[in-house]
Amino acid sequence: MTGPALFMTPERRLDGTDKISGATKYTGDIEFPGALEAAFVRSPYPHARIRSVDAVRARALPGVRAVITGADVGGARLGRRLQDWPVLCWDEVLFVGDRVAAVAADSRAIAEEAVRLIDVDYEELPALLDMEAALRPDAPALHPESASYRFLEGRGPRPSGPHPNHQGYVSESHGGDVDAAFAGAVRVFEHEFTTPRIHQLALEPHAAVVWIVGDRVHVVSTNKAPFTLRDQMAASLGLEPGRIVVDNGPIGGDFGGKGLSTDEYVLYFLARVTGKPVRAITRMADELTAMNPRHASRIRLRTGVDATGRIVAHESHATFDGGAYAAGKPTPRLMVEGGVQTLEGYRVPASRHEAAVVYTNHVPGGHMRAPGQPQNVFASESHLDIIARELGISPLELRRRNLAHSGDPVTSGGPWHGPDLHALLDRAATEIDADRKRGPGRGVGFAIGVRHVGTGSTTITLRLDRDGRIEVTTGVGEQGGGQHTLIQRIVAATLAVDPARVSVRRLDTDSPKDPGIGGSRVTPVHGGAARAAAEALREKLGGRAIADAAATLLEPIEVSVKYDATAADHGACAHAMEVAVDAETGAVRVLEAVVVVDVGQVINPVGLRGQLEGGFVYGLGMALTEDLAVEHGRIRASNLGDYKLPTIADVPPLRIVHLNDGHGVGPYGARSSGELVNPGVPAVLANAVADASGARVHTLPITAERVWTALQAKN
Amino acid sequence: MRPFEYLEPETLDEALALLAEDPDDTLVLAGGTSLVILMKQELVRPARVIGLRKLAQLRAIRSGDAGLTIGALATHGSLARASDVNAFSPALAATFAAVATVRIREQATVGGNIVHADPSQDPPVTLLALDATAVAMSKARARRIPFDELFVDVFETSLEPDELLLRVELPALPVGARATYKKFLPNTLDDYATVAVAAVVATDADGRCTHARIALGGAGPVPLRAHDAERSLVGRRLDDRSITEAAALAAAATDPIADLRGSARYKRAMAGVWTERALREIA
Repeated sequence: MTGPALFMTPERRLDGTDKISGATKYTGDIEFPGALEAAFVRSPYPHARIRSVDAVRARALPGVRAVITGADVGGARLGRRLQDWPVLCWDEVLFVGDRVAAVAADSRAIAEEAVRLIDVDYEELPALLDMEAALRPDAPALHPESASYRFLEGRGPRPSGPHPNHQGYVSESHGGDVDAAFAGAVRVFEHEFTTPRIHQLALEPHAAVVWIVGDRVHVVSTNKAPFTLRDQMAASLGLEPGRIVVDNGPIGGDFGGKGLSTDEYVLYFLARVTGKPVRAITRMADELTAMNPRHASRIRLRTGVDATGRIVAHESHATFDGGAYAAGKPTPRLMVEGGVQTLEGYRVPASRHEAAVVYTNHVPGGHMRAPGQPQNVFASESHLDIIARELGISPLELRRRNLAHSGDPVTSGGPWHGPDLHALLDRAATEIDADRKRGPGRGVGFAIGVRHVGTGSTTITLRLDRDGRIEVTTGVGEQGGGQHTLIQRIVAATLAVDPARVSVRRLDTDSPKDPGIGGSRVTPVHGGAARAAAEALREKLGGRAIADAAATLLEPIEVSVKYDATAADHGACAHAMEVAVDAETGAVRVLEAVVVVDVGQVINPVGLRGQLEGGFVYGLGMALTEDLAVEHGRIRASNLGDYKLPTIADVPPLRIVHLNDGHGVGPYGARSSGELVNPGVPAVLANAVADASGARVHTLPITAERVWTALQAKN
Repeated sequence: MRPFEYLEPETLDEALALLAEDPDDTLVLAGGTSLVILMKQELVRPARVIGLRKLAQLRAIRSGDAGLTIGALATHGSLARASDVNAFSPALAATFAAVATVRIREQATVGGNIVHADPSQDPPVTLLALDATAVAMSKARARRIPFDELFVDVFETSLEPDELLLRVELPALPVGARATYKKFLPNTLDDYATVAVAAVVATDADGRCTHARIALGGAGPVPLRAHDAERSLVGRRLDDRSITEAAALAAAATDPIADLRGSARYKRAMAGVWTERALREIA
């Protein structure tokens, strides 16, 4: 199946020229004459009572315009779904980095100097730094007044769990009597895996400016879902949503982290007190230690197989460290949803899943590129590999015996609906030359990745001018993923016009509601809306060519379409990787990586390559180096010298191969791609390392030392 | 960053005079790649900073029969490319090429690197193995400090606050000497070494070792010499047995700290592995 010819042509990014020339104004670049700069006093303790805050010396510092403390925020708490995070803490601090006071000053240097002059008297309290400890029956509740917190309804009631320190708790089973299914298994295997906190690390840090004119609160920030931010701020601050207008321009990378805002709320109070615009730009040290990283996890899997290695029963117990607040999670169940259904993509007739997110005195967990899924896939695909070796079946063969065909029962409870997983795996095996005999210290691994295609609703408006130009207006922004170019090309292809004649303009929140970027949503939802709007325009013109129709117009015509993308679908990929393991040091070198993907119809070929290759490198960091290691409740890395990301020199030879089964539910058969590749990379690397060396590492990242330790234990 | 007074002397005498005025509250800026970060993080708060960039004579690289002399303001990039350095010891040139990234190498200086005394840095390890001597000067006197006595502790050298490091002198190597530098980078290629080893050996006509130097980086609070390992090699052939023994002695000489790059146990073991690999390469 082939789509419009335009989609074969590499796109020219709408935002490309300005980004390359440096003309793009990110939030931190915008000059607001007379704006003040904010800085924050943060807790040095993972858990403490605030006895007093003395800001006398700070207030006396020339250039300081306001100092506010927890006493000044009227009990306001922020959050995307559960608003449990104090805008500024007034009685207790719950993690290292929690905020107790804020300064607005004429410059950032003065604001930061004032922060140093504020004396907070703390009484240190015992900290819950371990998920198991937090879930003991006698563990103190970190949020004893949690029942009074605001929960933003909309998609279901507030969740509850068996322990007060549960943020979210899910227990579900599929396919009938799971215990009976286990009883019928020939062999049952059980393994446990752990993963650390890791950081989204967009190049651009969080930033925000807030000012008040009359009764309107103006916000410009790095949040990728402006309408949702408006509603969250309105709820938290007790304002009518219509009083807040959010106008967020280009975002310098997101990876999930730009869904949570923390500064906008406190800036509102500072702007109110000072009567001026107030801006905050997060320091890298604060990004690393006090924002909303990927949840650390502990995942225990148990699987029963029959005599031929076919899975008959499966259960998972996944625990995620939610940190001090659930505020970073937008999901109705306050769950990192990608962590619930383990062994995704495999035929599993009976399964049971228990997943919990736990309050601790660590940095609050947030959303990051396929939330919960990389942890899950690392555990699931490692587990399968170990089972294969125990059974004396090749890991590739065990996967072939168990991969779901269309309609098979899978761990989400429904029949499998998505790309042909067997075709993907077979192609990956061919590409990596799986049957070739490798020398000592070399090996190959495999892993499967599946990711839902997002759903949701938005409105897109097209305006055709007499000169034949089409302007698209949308509430969605551009965070680097190529959202506006995608919309432009779909409109152009649908109407058979040159994309250069189609422009895209982003609207602020005084316009029809938009869900923002996230959840693998933009291609199916905004892309679908773009196609529907273009078709509506064509219909309105009676099917005439745009240029002909435009010439006869007396005035511009406009069509506005509200589009609802509801169809269930998945993108899928098969990973294959060859590695060399240095047996004396444990060092791992990736020799070659292959990712075979089915993302359906390609719309932005260059941008897609960026998503898929970028997703691979993103996963490679999780696999090999990234770890927000904690010591006494404090994250040790405060800069990118200590928190190591892969550099371009670390990227191995990588091949992306496209298959398309022709059944994608997005516009022209497209599927989502942004969160597809990264989840499987730690898994495929772990499996390749085991194949090369016999070292099975159950904990991320797979450092040389962990491989070396596993080899020492084996020998 | 706190405000400070910034001065750029035109001559060495002027620089030393300025440094003598208030040595305890003055810091010297060479390439600035480390100092500026420390100042931004306010880990150091100098009242006065003396920039050396006008002192062109401190960039000189000279070689002769007596050995090699490297000016303190020579950048790592210029040293990695310098034919004099490569002719003296390819391993030394490779060491400078192994520092950080191209952006840092073209800005950071060898003198700044040495006085920063970060035990994870590359050049001090190889310089130590090459019997380097630091030449420092204050307004009152000049002084020669062997590298064995230069590094005192993490971020601490035996230089006095009023002393300026002028150059590093390397004596001519024994005839037939071979050297190598091994930087173990298991995480990303843009990183400090988990451990690093520099080794220098020379052998006589019978293949017996006449000269051995083994220095280790990332293996303790300062760059270390593995004296026992060196002594164990002299007079012996560089074969499997002597190399394995020397590697074990080198590992035993380490005093690593556990950090984000590994546990003490792992670093000690890796010091042994990489000493063995270094010696095999030049045996």
